[in-house]
Amino acid sequence: MTHVFWMAFFAALTGVVFGTVAKGTDQQKLIYGLKVFGEFLAIALILGWVLYFLPLR
Amino acid sequence: MGRLGCRASASGDACAPVQRLVVEEEGEDLLVKGIERSDAGTPGRAWLIGVSAWAVPGLGHFLQKRWARGLLLGGAVWAMFVIGLLIGGHLFRMGGSDQGLSALLQLLPMSANFGGGLLYIFCWLTNTGFAEQAQRVTYEYGNTFLLVAGLLNYLAMLDAFDIAAGRKQ
Repeated sequence: MTHVFWMAFFAALTGVVFGTVAKGTDQQKLIYGLKVFGEFLAIALILGWVLYFLPLR
Repeated sequence: MGRLGCRASASGDACAPVQRLVVEEEGEDLLVKGIERSDAGTPGRAWLIGVSAWAVPGLGHFLQKRWARGLLLGGAVWAMFVIGLLIGGHLFRMGGSDQGLSALLQLLPMSANFGGGLLYIFCWLTNTGFAEQAQRVTYEYGNTFLLVAGLLNYLAMLDAFDIAAGRKQ
């Protein structure tokens, strides 16, 4: 659970910065920030499950 | 000669020229000859704001009275840097016990950490956060937080610079 929490926290802070420096209206910035946050989480979870099934050790 | 890219600048000018449309009159018609770009409009104040934005995350926006933007960017970078240290991350630096290629490999992460500005310099002067704590579960997360905090501050610095130079609203 610690890993998921820190990963989500990292995604949230990065989403805030990316959304803030993005161009467009406030609404477009908010949507972009949320999109970045969601994409970070989704990609991390997908990669996590892919790596789980790979025989790496 | 007409003016094309005309934006309000943070320096107080009503309109700072960014691009110029070169137009010639031929009888009753106007002929567009091209577009001239000018970088001469970048004021010294923009460079100063860029440096202050790097030195103290958020300061570049506060100096331009962009309170919300400064709070969001500065707050995110400060939080990421401090939390990175608290959860066991470590900062990188050149020198120390590393020799040759190993020392060179420290250059990239060090330049990312260096984006933290005075936060990094303070840690370097007080020798804080350079010790590895690989036994902690969140050690890798801490490293990532510290690296990305610096990189995000570079982004915030460019944003503050662009606003001061009148390239961004």
